[in-house]
Parts: sequence; structure tokens; C-alpha cells
Amino acid sequence: MTALLHWLTFLLSIILLPVLTLGTIRKTKARLQNRIGPPICQPIYDLVKLSRKGETISSTMCGVFRLSSLLAFADILVLAWLTPWLCFKPWAPHSNIFMVVYLFAFARMFTLLGSLDSGSAFGAFSASREATLSLLVEPAVLLALVSLGIFFGSSDLRVIFSHQTNQTFTDSAIWIAAGLAIFFSSLVELSRMPVDDPTTHLELTMIHEAMILEASGRNLALIEFAHALKMSIFFGLASQCFLRAFPQFNTFNVYSQGGLNIVGILGLALFVGLLESLIVKLQWRKVPEFIAYILSLSLIASLAAIGAGVIK
Amino acid sequence: MNIDIIPIEAELRQDALLSWLNQPGKRLGLITSNDGGQIVTLLLDTADSAATIWESQMSDCKYSSLTPRITQAHWMERTMWDMFGLEPTHHPRLKHNLLHEPYEEKFYPLRKENDVVARSGHRQYHSLKVKGDGIYEIPVGPIHAGIIEPGHFHFSCVGEIIFNLEIRLGYVHRGIEKKLSEMNWQKQRFLVEAAASDSAAAYALAHAVALESCIDLVVPEKAQHLRSLALEIERVAMHIGDLAGLAADVGFLAISSSLGRLRGASLGLADLVSGNRFLKGFICPGGVIQDPDGNLSKLKAKAKNLQKELEPVVRYFLTNQVVLDRMENIGKVSERLAKDFGLVGVAGRASNQMYDVRHHFSAGVYPLLKPAIVLEKEGDVFCRAKVRANELVDSLAFIDMLLETMPCGSHSTNMPDALRANAVGLGIVEAHRGELIHLVFTDEQGNCKRYAIKDPSVNNWTGLAIAARNNLVSDFPLCNKSFSLSYSGHDL
Repeated sequence: MTALLHWLTFLLSIILLPVLTLGTIRKTKARLQNRIGPPICQPIYDLVKLSRKGETISSTMCGVFRLSSLLAFADILVLAWLTPWLCFKPWAPHSNIFMVVYLFAFARMFTLLGSLDSGSAFGAFSASREATLSLLVEPAVLLALVSLGIFFGSSDLRVIFSHQTNQTFTDSAIWIAAGLAIFFSSLVELSRMPVDDPTTHLELTMIHEAMILEASGRNLALIEFAHALKMSIFFGLASQCFLRAFPQFNTFNVYSQGGLNIVGILGLALFVGLLESLIVKLQWRKVPEFIAYILSLSLIASLAAIGAGVIK
Repeated sequence: MNIDIIPIEAELRQDALLSWLNQPGKRLGLITSNDGGQIVTLLLDTADSAATIWESQMSDCKYSSLTPRITQAHWMERTMWDMFGLEPTHHPRLKHNLLHEPYEEKFYPLRKENDVVARSGHRQYHSLKVKGDGIYEIPVGPIHAGIIEPGHFHFSCVGEIIFNLEIRLGYVHRGIEKKLSEMNWQKQRFLVEAAASDSAAAYALAHAVALESCIDLVVPEKAQHLRSLALEIERVAMHIGDLAGLAADVGFLAISSSLGRLRGASLGLADLVSGNRFLKGFICPGGVIQDPDGNLSKLKAKAKNLQKELEPVVRYFLTNQVVLDRMENIGKVSERLAKDFGLVGVAGRASNQMYDVRHHFSAGVYPLLKPAIVLEKEGDVFCRAKVRANELVDSLAFIDMLLETMPCGSHSTNMPDALRANAVGLGIVEAHRGELIHLVFTDEQGNCKRYAIKDPSVNNWTGLAIAARNNLVSDFPLCNKSFSLSYSGHDL
């Protein structure tokens, strides 16, 4: 019975959390601009609406376009099942750090292929931008996770994220540094401010949006949902890092841990909304600089982890 | 304004124009024709507030192009080719401007006698081909995302860097100049205002000044004040709107929505003056349509309030470090190129062009009363934003001053039923984008036989093409917004 309940909550989280995260960001942005804004559930309505709509497919596309969004969606679903982004997962499989990072890259590859297949000028240049960005941000994500791996002596995220030890100051510092690195690199991975402006209507400045310009109907719904789910996974990992920096977190039971986890995800969404209203999009040339900061955070975390290991 | 019409041989025009432009303060206003039988060149002398028209009779429809030596003529010569079939020889990039492929080969809408042979280069449009390794072509438009007007941009890029930008316009060509020359002057003002609706007050003012100068009519002082008031309110509203657009393009949403709200407040000022938020139907030949005396004290309080609210928002926007990073050294137009291409308005003044129509030509209360000229040197996006911000402050102070010195008396005077026969009327106004020229010629009966309009965008579209070069593709929208040009004003 409890197992069934766990499965149900997990499934519900996979369906609801992504849209709520997106809705929270949009609502926060609207409120900060003195607008009432759409209801937090609006992304659900949008997805339902899109999935009912017809689809326009250019005659120059081959099957890659349709297939790519499907594969990317499947890939993200596997990741949602694999990574410990929620602490109340019914069954935690073995999830290797490297596999997780490169499954994300795999999903991106499909999206890139899809946008190249569309054959539009925007699709091609946004694909090139996305490829450049992912190339730059990959070491940052990897190093952030690896720093945790070094510290806890395992390359299995399941082991890392369920570690129960008496925490020291070093533990907290590493958790926070890694969490920050994961959170900021997620802004790059998810094409959000200050790297890309998701609300812009200007094709020439877009990265993610320009890749999916040609998608419509059900196809677009799939892409949008996959993107939102990817966002929840990243925020889930980051929020858990922050939560585990507090020694008290390990003493809570699984329900309050799960609740805090969800609050953490939505809190990060709130923060992103705040960030996106108050900061300015970086010039394309300055983006590598921003990623360099994230990378140095990851480096600090790894060095601290190695240092802590040596001392022990 | 008294306008001299000087006949000049077509072959001598080029040298004469070159020596004219080499004198300080002398400008080229407009090159056009009346009915295809002549070329009319409007010259402006900003130092003496004088205008001269050179008229060169044409025996055939080919003439030697001015463009190789006088670059700013290139666009006007293309339009003239479209409208009158007057073909400039040796024009480096002669292609049609307004009339696209679907029009008939031998269609010259403003030409009286259709005696020319079909155009030698037919209507096919070819963008400039850029060849080389890694050249990537991005076509954008004419239909854009968002609700802006149609225009086609053809980028030739090397990676993320724009190598060349070609702008193709004419998608909203409605034949306004031809229509204006066929209707009563009494009705013209409605069409003129609708021609480029975001400059309704400026268009109406230029139209009124042009007709009044045809018959040497002096409008009452109160009308002059109210006209300038309307024009400055339009400038304030549009400058705020443009700054909001710049903020949105750098992704600064909080500032963008604050400025959007303040733009609404400035449209409220327009409502108080004219009863219309977009100042339509207010300025008419002879004066203004109504006297908003009862609203002026309220207007004054609201303008003061707007000034107070605007100041911190604009300051916060233009002192933000990342905003500076995005805007400085982006989309540069050097002072020399700005002069060569005759840039006007905000774009011109951001590139150190000392030209503000309000200082040089009479319309409304100008140039007796006027705000200071705002100049910047660098010619980048940030300078254009700063010129707008500073002009906003000046315009709001000027509105206050106009209200302070508002004279008593009548708000309009009667216009005669017919205009003077064989007369020329010139209205030249600083619209929020820059120099706007309306040029009217009347026939023997005193009817308007030719109505020529030069929107500030005609000069400045080329400025945008120059500014975009060697910049990142992703910075183009910012460059574009910093010029904030009109498609309908250009296409007419």
C-alpha cells in the first residue's frame, strides 16, 4: 500500500511539478511587473490546448524532426526516473554521474537534430549557439556532481543523495558550492536569463526558442513539457544540495523531507522569476565569462572535496 | 517661409549640390519630381532658416546618378525611379524601393505622361550576394514576430557577426502621395495623420505649416503654443516607448514595464490636450481644432508628476552596469558616415550631427522658443538611448514652460477656400524621429498637384544598415530598436 502511494506521488510529481515550476516563474515575473499574470496552472492548460491542436510540418523536413522531440522527451523521462531529484522516489536505481550528465547531452543532441532538420535559418544558428553553450557548461555540471562524488566516495548519485552522516562545516560548504554550481549551470542548460531571454519575441537573439520555432501542436507540447521536466530535475538536484547543507535535514522523516524538497524546487523557481525581472540579459560575448564563474564554483567544490578527503 | 525656385541644368546639378553640401549648415532636404518632367531638389540652409528648390527640366528619363558622389541621394533616387521612371545611370545599387514584383512593368504612379519605355532593369529584386567561406544568410521578415510593421532584413553573416545587412521595404506602400494630390486640401489632414500614425501630431503639423506657407497665413500665437505642446507630448510618449523597447530587448523586464506604464501616462497628457490619446484630429491648417483651456492646469500637474516618476526609472536603467555593457560600442555610426548619409533626429544627434529642426525652421513656437540640442559623440546604441533620455527631460521642462507662457486669444484662424495658384508650400518639423518634410505644389486653380513627404526614416534606414555591420546577430534587435524607424512612414 505504501509502495503504491509512493509510486502515485512520484508520478504526480513528474506530471505536476514541471508545470508548477514554470507557472511559478511566470507568475513571479508578472507580479514583479505589476501584472496579475496567468494562473500558476496555466502551463497545464497550455499543454492541453497544444496537444489538441493540429500540426504543421514543413515539406522539407524528414522524419527526424518528429522523432527527435519524442526521443528527447523519452530521454528526459528516463532521467526523471534515474536521478534522485526527489527524495521520495519509490525505487532508486543506480544512477552514475557520468551517465546522467551524458543522458542530458543526449536529449540535447536530439533537440539540435530536430532544429537542424527544420531547415530554417533560425533553427540552424540557434542550434549552433546551443551547441556552443552546452560545450562550455558541460564541465561545470560534471565537476559539480563529481565534487560530491569525491567527497562521498561514490559515483552513484543515489548513494550521494542519501548519505546520512554527522555533518561538519566542510560538508555544508561542499553541498552549497555544488548546489550553487548546479543551479547556475541549469540557467545555462535551460536557456534562461542571463544567457537567453525566454520571453523575447526576437528570433535573432533566441537560443532555445529559435530551435523550436517550427514545432507546433502535439510536438510542441512534448518539447515544452520535456523542457519543464528538465528544469524540475535540475532545480530538484540543486534544492536537495541546499537542503542537505543543513545537518537537521537528515533527521526529518521522508514526508517532511519530500515536502521541503518540493518547497525548495518552487522556491528556486521563485528566485528565477525574481532574477529574470531584475537582471539584464548578457551580451553573447560575455556568456563564456558567466559560465567561467560557474565553473570556478564547481572547481572550488571539487578542491574542497579533495582537500577534505586528504585531511580525513 | 519664402522658397526660391531656381532653374538649374540637369548636368550642373551634381557639382552645384556638392559645393552646397560642403558649406557648413547646408543640407539636402529631398530629391523628387513633380510629374516626371523635371527633378526637384530641395535644399535647406539651417543657418539662415531658408529653403531653396532647384528645378531641372528633363528631356528624357535618364540622368546621371548623384549617388556615387553624394551617398545620401541613393535612396531618394531609387524611389524616384519607382514613382516617375526617371532612371539614374551609374547608380551602384539601383533596385526598386516601393513597387514590388506584382506591379506592371510600365507603371509609374506619379508620372503624368506615361511615355517612358519599360524599365531596363525589370522588377526582379536581387539582394547583394556576399560570397566566401562560411557566409551564412539569414532572411528575416517581412512578417515579424510581435506586432511590428513589415520589412525584410537580409543578413549575410560570418558566424555570429553581421557582414552585411540589406533592408527591403515597401510592403506597406499605399499610394498616399498620389491620393493626397487628388483630394481637397480640407480633407488631406485626415489622410496625412493616418499615413504614419505614431507621428500623427508631427505629420499634421508639417501638413498645416506647408499649406499655411502656401498662402502666407500666420496662425494666432495661442495656436502656435498648442501645436508645439502637442508635438512635444508626442515626443515624450514615443521616447518613453522607445526606451521601454530598449529595456525589453536587453531583457530588463522591470524597467520595461515601468516605462510602459509611464508611456500610458504621457498618452493621458495627449488626451487632455486634444481629446485623443494619439493626438489625432487636433492640429489643422489655420490653427488647432479646439481650445483645451480648462484642462491646462490639470495637464501641468500631470506633466510634473510624470517628470518626477520618470527620472528614477530612466536613471536606474541607464546606469546599470550590464545595460551599459549591452549598449556601449554596439551599433556604431561614425560622425562622418552620419553626415554622408544625412542622418536626422535622434540617430543623427547621437553621432554628433548638430541638427534639430526645432532650432532652424519655424513651425509652432519654434525656433523662438525651443529646448536645447542634445548631442552625443559616439553614435552607439547607448548614445541614442541617452539622447532620448535627455530629450525627454528637456521636452517635459519645455512643456511646463509652454503651459507657463500660454497666451490668450483665439486658437485658430480661417483658411481661404482655395490655396494660392502655382505656389509652393513647405512644412518642416522635428518629429520624434527627426526631420519631417512636407512639400506642396499647387496648380493654376490653386489645387494641390503634388504632395511630397519625406519621413525621417527615409534618411535613417541606411543608418541602421551601417550600424548593424560587424555587430553580433543577437545585438541586431537592440540596434534596430535604438533607431526605432517607421515602415509606414517610409513606404507611404
